[in-house]
Amino acid sequence: MLLEALDGDETVVFGSAAASVQVQVEPVGRWFEAYVKRRNRNISASFQELEEEEESSEESEDEEFQLQECPMLRTLDPKDWKNQDHYAVLGLPHLRYKATQKQIKAAHKAIVLKHHPDKRKAAGEQIVEGDNDYFTCITKAIEILSDPVKRRAFDSVDPTFDNAVPSKSEGKENFFEVFYLVFERNARWSSKKHVPKLGTMESSFEEVDTFYSFWYNFDSWREFSYLDEEEKEKAECRDERRWIEKQNRASRAQRKKEEMNRIRTLVDTAYSCDPRIKKFKEEEKARKESEKKAKAEAKKREQEEKERARQAELDAARLAKEKEEEEAKLAAQQAKKEKDIQKKAIKKERQKLRTTCKNWNYFAENEADDVKMMEEVEKLCDRLELTSLQSLNEILASSSKEDGKAAVEKQVQEVNAQLQREKEAEVQARQAARSVEQASGGGGTAGKGWGEEDLQLLIKAVNLFPAGTNARWEVIANYMNLHSNSGLKRTAKDVINKAKNLQRLDPGQKDEINKKAFEKFKKEHSSVAPSIDNAVPSERFDASGSDGSAAPWTTEEQKLLEQALKTYPVSTPERWEKIAATVPGRSKKDCMKRYKELVEMVKAKRAAQEQVAIKTKK
Amino acid sequence: MAAIGVHFGYTCACVAIFKDGRADVVANDAGDRVTPAVVAYRDTEQIVGIAAKQGRVRNAANTVVKVKQVLGRSYDDPETQNHRTETKCQVVDKQQKPYYEITVGEYPQYVSPEDVAKLILHKMKETAQSALGSDVTDAVITVPFEFAQAQKRALRDAAEAAGFNVLRLIHEPAAALLAYNIGQDSSSGKSHVLVYKLGGTSLSVTVLQVNGGIFRVLSTHTDHSIGGESFTQALAQHLAAEFKRTFKYDVSENARAMMKLMNGADMAKHSLSSLGSANCFVDSLHDGMDFECNVSRARFELLCSSLFNKSIQPIRPLLEKAGLSTSSINKVVLCGGSARIPRLQQMIRELFVDVELLSSAPTDEVIAVGAALQAGLLVGRESLAPEEESVTVDVSAIDLLVKEVDESGAEMFTVLLPSGTPLPARKHHTMTGAGKLSSVCLEIYQGCVMEHPEKLAKIILRDLQPSEENHNIDAVVTMKRDGSVHVSCVEQSTGRSEAITIAAAS
Repeated sequence: MLLEALDGDETVVFGSAAASVQVQVEPVGRWFEAYVKRRNRNISASFQELEEEEESSEESEDEEFQLQECPMLRTLDPKDWKNQDHYAVLGLPHLRYKATQKQIKAAHKAIVLKHHPDKRKAAGEQIVEGDNDYFTCITKAIEILSDPVKRRAFDSVDPTFDNAVPSKSEGKENFFEVFYLVFERNARWSSKKHVPKLGTMESSFEEVDTFYSFWYNFDSWREFSYLDEEEKEKAECRDERRWIEKQNRASRAQRKKEEMNRIRTLVDTAYSCDPRIKKFKEEEKARKESEKKAKAEAKKREQEEKERARQAELDAARLAKEKEEEEAKLAAQQAKKEKDIQKKAIKKERQKLRTTCKNWNYFAENEADDVKMMEEVEKLCDRLELTSLQSLNEILASSSKEDGKAAVEKQVQEVNAQLQREKEAEVQARQAARSVEQASGGGGTAGKGWGEEDLQLLIKAVNLFPAGTNARWEVIANYMNLHSNSGLKRTAKDVINKAKNLQRLDPGQKDEINKKAFEKFKKEHSSVAPSIDNAVPSERFDASGSDGSAAPWTTEEQKLLEQALKTYPVSTPERWEKIAATVPGRSKKDCMKRYKELVEMVKAKRAAQEQVAIKTKK
Repeated sequence: MAAIGVHFGYTCACVAIFKDGRADVVANDAGDRVTPAVVAYRDTEQIVGIAAKQGRVRNAANTVVKVKQVLGRSYDDPETQNHRTETKCQVVDKQQKPYYEITVGEYPQYVSPEDVAKLILHKMKETAQSALGSDVTDAVITVPFEFAQAQKRALRDAAEAAGFNVLRLIHEPAAALLAYNIGQDSSSGKSHVLVYKLGGTSLSVTVLQVNGGIFRVLSTHTDHSIGGESFTQALAQHLAAEFKRTFKYDVSENARAMMKLMNGADMAKHSLSSLGSANCFVDSLHDGMDFECNVSRARFELLCSSLFNKSIQPIRPLLEKAGLSTSSINKVVLCGGSARIPRLQQMIRELFVDVELLSSAPTDEVIAVGAALQAGLLVGRESLAPEEESVTVDVSAIDLLVKEVDESGAEMFTVLLPSGTPLPARKHHTMTGAGKLSSVCLEIYQGCVMEHPEKLAKIILRDLQPSEENHNIDAVVTMKRDGSVHVSCVEQSTGRSEAITIAAAS
């Protein structure tokens, strides 16, 4: 119930309404979907409004359409209904296939109200009795247009439809104007809705692609039953009906094929004329080319990179090598310098020791002691290392004669003890080696008493008297008997047997034996007189010397040595240095030793040969 | 066009199909309308559903349960860690994502939660297809309201991997409302609905405002610590105690026996929802000893009374948070399997005295039905492009009122457009003025009826024809998106009209 308005009250707005707020809602339900739909359509109306609007718009459409009555209606011949335009008959020539069922019905109603024979009769018109009245045409029209199947058949052969397909030359010039209309026109046959539009020059590749794929797979509902020559219903018997059917089917298929061809031609023409396709193709080509280029470039770059890396590596390796060499050189120089300094120092120290000892008369009263002490001091000089020499000298310099003597004697004792120890160790080692040798070679010699020394001697002899020597085995046996210290007499036969035995042994073993022989030789020599190389203090700094002595001489080295010996005769100053320089890997000492060995060997050989010669002479 | 709705829960999954305007839940190959969301991995196969659940007794290490808890979460997530400690299946860290380590073959397999969810959803799809007899892919899947974006995406991915075309993900409470057709028949009025969902492992209570057919969540509460499983646990504990009393043996340390007992208790619990007492029978529970026990509903309710209280207790704070009282709730919707429990329903009824309690549909199926209804709305309508999961709309901020007087002459306000009406909106309202009057006055107010509304405008209609009959005045109130109001009134007999526009405050 509303209140009464007071006098003087006016319609007035006092304030402003509260602004709307935004809230999160659940996207569910019918109303929500309706809301979304509206929002997507950008219609600002409430639910109720929308619903009403939709209905009213439909109604208004119904009322809106106007009938355009066919002026020829009255002259139509009902017998010729097949050729009449049913839409025109009903007054809908402007709507045609777009006309809704509702519109068709309404139009029919309006037409009937006007043209029904009864109405006309009432209006005082003369009516032709029977089927000849044009009203039959109206009946036929509604019969066809109200039946969806029949209507479709009629629509398919709509006489107003332009079946023309533009030619290529036409399409080339203004593609979009020409083809837009054609495709729009033909789109009505599509059984799918939402026919893609031709688009514009700016359409994306996807759009154009969908357009053409749609049209290439065009699914048309157009069919040509309306044009059937004969009517099935007219047939008198089943066979005739069948024949008619067959006939119709064939002609329909033919027409359908023609139609499909038409569409196909249209799409083909459009495709070939389409400037966009050309554009896309060019773009694609350009893209591929650029890709190719990029690939080639990348490859090139990669190769360059590789080349550069390799170069860098090489450079680095070269640099490193150079550096290494430099360093080695420097190190060698340094080592040499040091060695020299060391040598000088030791020389100095030795000298000092000698002079000190001499100053104190070698701490001896008589001559014999003096000599002995001198020997001892010499030994000390040889054996003691730089530091101990220095300390000894210091002691000697700082202390009295007695203390000095004690110190020297202590050192002498130590040195002697060391010598003794070394000797013992050597003997032990030799014994051990021999026992090992015997254990290994014992089986083969079969009690014949081929000791290790004998074996070595044999090998030496075999090498000394090569095959071809006159009475070789006798010479060897003789040589063996002469040099062996085993005391056994060996005949030539024994020697042959043993040599053959040895030959059967593998060369590695032979090598070993040779090596051992050399070691033994060295040991024997050193045991005879404490050789100089055994305890030279400088040996520590001369690593290659000790190594080199151990290695056996190869034939090449041997050749080089012989050559050197010939080129530098005895008179050459610093002969051995020069010789050593020509033989790589061998020190001066090695060369000298080898030379001595060789000399000895040659001597022995000669002696043995002489003896054999004497024997044969006898 | 058929479409399906899937409710993918923590413990169970349910599928409903929408066909011929109806949404029906379909039973799976085992004949159950609800499928346990359990996946068991064997040498050559993966088993989903009841068989996997029962086989868990023997194959616990390779049986994945409650996969929804870790779906779409990172490994460091506290929920994931919680799940890791609870589940018997090994959970390992792989690039910050949790993976299940399955050791059936020679080498351990690593299975992502999405794959597990995929298997379950695929099973649901098969179930729906076998019922329909044809392939169906369009589906709406429900998610809990609290699901974060990443979890939703994971679920969507899993569903798509299972072969679904996900039309939309909708929230569970909204699906429940749809199933009861709340706010769907007309756009009239505003109402508040409470959705009470007590599932297998979680409780969620949501208050929604329904206005203009649009649902809006006012407040929600989720508690993962209570659910049907808690009740089963309590019952199983009781059964274990019974067993101990009878056989003098404590089975609570024996994991396998407890699992068997849980299965038994689960079934007993289900029957107690409809029967006064249930028999629980477990073959060879321990050492070949069979166990049989009768549990009455009263006993069960006693055992779980504290749990029931805990389940009910969050409702009141939630309503307070939303600024509502129990009487301002128009409807209560029950869903989730555990909401079947009679005692629980009774407690809720006591809480909401004069409120309609909707529990006619099976509570564990309503959500799936709602999802199916939504799927039916969406299917075959491409124009409804997939929207975001949450949508913002403009609504009116405040009630729009018109002042009238009743017979006694006292002032009264009629609500033309309630607050929260989605905009734009239009409303017809017909008012009457006494026939003897020659002029009437319409006063438009905004604000709450109780708290002195603000007067917005006054519309005067003059020069009316005084008559015996009352004047009928049609008012059309239109509110635009920005909140501005247009009111036009027409006196029907004379056609005298008046219109005003009230601009919106900026």
